[in-house]
Amino acid sequence: MKARILLGLAPLTLYLVAFTLVPVASTFVLSLSAPGDGITLEHFRRIAGHYQFGQAVVNTLGITAIGLSLELGLGLVAALALTSRPAGRKVFQVLLLVPLGVPTIVAAAMMRTVFGTVGYLNEILLRLGIIRTPVDWVGPRGLALVTVAVADAWKVTPLVLLILLAGLGTIPAELYEAARTDGASRWRQFAAITLPLLKPALTMALIVRGVDAFRIFALPLALAGRGLPVLSTYAYVEYLEYGNPHTAAASSVILLAMILIAVGTYLKLAGPEEVLR
Amino acid sequence: MSRAATLLLAVLAFWAVGPLYLLLKVSLSPPVEVMTAHPTLLPHGITLEHWGRLLETGQVLPPLVKSLLTAGLVAVAALLLAAPAAYSLARLRERWRYGILLGLFLFRMLPEVSIALPVAVVFLRWGLLDTVAGLGLAHLTLVLPVAAWVLTTAFLAIPREIEEAAALDGCSAWQTLTRVTLRLAVPGLTVAGLLAWLFSWEEFVLATYLTLGAKTMPLQVYYYLYQGNWFLTAAAATLMTAPVLLLTGFLQRHLQAISLAGAGR
Repeated sequence: MKARILLGLAPLTLYLVAFTLVPVASTFVLSLSAPGDGITLEHFRRIAGHYQFGQAVVNTLGITAIGLSLELGLGLVAALALTSRPAGRKVFQVLLLVPLGVPTIVAAAMMRTVFGTVGYLNEILLRLGIIRTPVDWVGPRGLALVTVAVADAWKVTPLVLLILLAGLGTIPAELYEAARTDGASRWRQFAAITLPLLKPALTMALIVRGVDAFRIFALPLALAGRGLPVLSTYAYVEYLEYGNPHTAAASSVILLAMILIAVGTYLKLAGPEEVLR
Repeated sequence: MSRAATLLLAVLAFWAVGPLYLLLKVSLSPPVEVMTAHPTLLPHGITLEHWGRLLETGQVLPPLVKSLLTAGLVAVAALLLAAPAAYSLARLRERWRYGILLGLFLFRMLPEVSIALPVAVVFLRWGLLDTVAGLGLAHLTLVLPVAAWVLTTAFLAIPREIEEAAALDGCSAWQTLTRVTLRLAVPGLTVAGLLAWLFSWEEFVLATYLTLGAKTMPLQVYYYLYQGNWFLTAAAATLMTAPVLLLTGFLQRHLQAISLAGAGR
């Protein structure tokens, strides 16, 4: 019996070792290897002095922070609205989940039509008289950052919504009934029942989405190009355009470290049992 | 309260669906409606010229074929590799199972760029760049943890008593597996296979690293986007979105697996 279990696990394990662990390890080696056989920190020093790399770190963190706030905020509001049993609940749920069925690169294409200088958002705002001249949404760096975060939120808020809906579903209705009998206000019910019991779902959404946001690639590349480097696209440009695998590897290692820190913090806070439920 | 909720949901639904409408509209609009300082919001004229041109260029068929082949290969290979592992995991002691599943979860969090770089370097040497096999091998690294996860849940849902009953009725171990267990696991296998297919179909990062000339559909869409051709972008993007929308509709109940798997980069 034991042997059969090991036999079943072997192909998957071997595959992941060969095609995931070995590559990640060799990225690490690549980031430290000097010409010849030596070990050097030169590649890290080089990217640290590179203006674009500093920007990439700041942009990655900025997009993550803005994106996560939007996604968790909108996701929570939508999940609560859906569970309050409004008219047309089923229809709304289907419509809200539509972006899930849209590939990321297609989302980028859509967002170009929305946020282009002669795009549809500008047209709507012009017609409403909110702006006088078209806005270049991906021009100034701060604005481009927000635009990419909003585009990302468009694509992934449905995921957060799903996680939160599942979390809300586990809260027993009797708790609310008891609270109502005790005369607790809606706000009090939210603060004393919903929020604490939703915490596992919220932290889950936070970590899954946080790690994805650190790795964001297609949206900044397609919407803002070189003007808005993030860690992934920085590594990509270093390797494929400047042909420097060492600095590309070094920046990938930094990204990996950021992700490991985030996941480690989460596991410490939530405990592994919570992750797997 | 309920009315406020409805209003709010209506606004959010408009935001969720609006961009999809715009994409479709651009792909069907005469250029004068789009390439102007004031694009029209509602469709006034409808034309198939962009769709016609997309097909005429001959640029879209090879990526379509490559993406279809890769995604098909990935789906089949993912099941072949992940199903035995998931079956074993489901029969493993709980502590071990959770440990291994947690490990798979961590695999899914690794940045693609740190996998793609050495793989691209090695595949260049092996002559696997631009090939369906090479891209499929790379896509499996992203897909396998998710497939194993989904399938473990599926196998766990099959009560062991059913297998024991089959054995008592004289089924050999192999017969029990093929006639009972695998048959009961068909819904789970379908979901895992479709998820794997979807992942590969829309994957962008690894494809960028492992492609020199033979583009996949996402790369072709990016190519039009980069050129700034709104119409070909919209038509090609709509073309590659259609099967995904259908499949995710079908997968509604299993969407949480997608969320854990991480999409949206």
